[in-house]
Amino acid sequence: MQKEQLSDKEAIFLIIVFVIGSSLITGVGGEADNDAWIAVVVGLIMVMPMILVFSRILSLFQGKDLFDILTLTLGKRISKIVAIMYIWYAFHLGALVLRNFGEFINIVAMPETPMFVPLFCLGLLCIVAVRLGIEVMGRTTAYFLPILFLIIVIVQLLAIPQLHLNYLKPILGSGLIPVLKGGFSALSFPFAETVLFIGVFGSLKTKKSPFKVYYWGILISALIIIITTIRNLAVLGNMRDSFYFPSYAAVGSIKIGNFIERIEVSVAFIFVFGVFIKSSICLLVACKGIGKMFNLKDYRSIVIQTGLLMIYLSYIIYDNSMMMKYWAFKVYPFYAFPFQVIIPITIWIFAEYKARKNKMNCFSSKCP
Amino acid sequence: MFVLPIIGYTFWVIYEFIPLYKQKLWHDFWVNAVLGISSFTIAMLLSLGVEVPSPEGPIRELIISIFGK
Repeated sequence: MQKEQLSDKEAIFLIIVFVIGSSLITGVGGEADNDAWIAVVVGLIMVMPMILVFSRILSLFQGKDLFDILTLTLGKRISKIVAIMYIWYAFHLGALVLRNFGEFINIVAMPETPMFVPLFCLGLLCIVAVRLGIEVMGRTTAYFLPILFLIIVIVQLLAIPQLHLNYLKPILGSGLIPVLKGGFSALSFPFAETVLFIGVFGSLKTKKSPFKVYYWGILISALIIIITTIRNLAVLGNMRDSFYFPSYAAVGSIKIGNFIERIEVSVAFIFVFGVFIKSSICLLVACKGIGKMFNLKDYRSIVIQTGLLMIYLSYIIYDNSMMMKYWAFKVYPFYAFPFQVIIPITIWIFAEYKARKNKMNCFSSKCP
Repeated sequence: MFVLPIIGYTFWVIYEFIPLYKQKLWHDFWVNAVLGISSFTIAMLLSLGVEVPSPEGPIRELIISIFGK
């Protein structure tokens, strides 16, 4: 199989789209009410140590992906168990993201159409993208990201007349605890979900680039999320919690003169592209994991079936939108914590130990 | 409705399954077969209107039992 190469720029773009994808439209840090933007900042601070851990793991084992690193650090048997957990996490997260898209289409665009139809259409697109490989996804993102940035900037500027900055007050009115809870929620969704990129970034160029890619990717996406959260709060105020998709509602209220209105479709475009890239990355990691576990020649041979299973899981996973919101804000942060924090830190400790042991062996046997 | 998955999966067998068999990639072939049979079963159940249980409930119960509400 030919080795795929990803430039740093493409990798940063992939992280940005992955992080802003579904979080821009579903909202982040909902527990903190009108301090949600501070919760995003807290989430950003919380994820910084984890970025160091993720990038250190990658730079210790340059050219290896998550599943190779697991085998090298934890041994054959334990690595298989942890690999199964990560395959499930990637597969499940992909299904959750697809379901977000399905709910979005069902609620705002096509309420009469069965939800399976949009899920199946986007799922097929993800299958095609994963079969084409990470290089193609990287290049596609590099083409589309400037358009997404342009849309985000224009929409922010057009929203200025609708802003009521007094909605942001009182700052820390409910105390620090809701902000910390919101920060924890922002850590798990979306920032620390980037743990899955350890399964993708085996093809980065230099030893230092994983840190650079993670750092810039998370920083730029956090900035976009903070600005968007402030806009949503300043436009919708206390009404923010009553919408499933606050960004869509906030942009929907923009009205300049009598001709610039109903521009929420621009937000939908960002959301659809973001969901597409995020689900594709999840599917790619799940397929790579299955491929490595069963020593397949190429992970591409199982993409269609894994993708179809992901579509079916996304269809059956929730009964309604309320359940989706409850899961996203109340259950998911605790469910994802082991995958995003505990296991990566354990892998990192073992990886450091292995790397030092190899170095010592190199010194004693004078290897280059 | 159950005809649609049958047609779709027939195309899949022709497009992917037979080439794997011809190339004698047995690992890929068997993993693909297991995944394919699972996904075909779920597709048939969904098309026949059978309610497939979601893993969301047990995971939610587990998380709530550990961390509380």
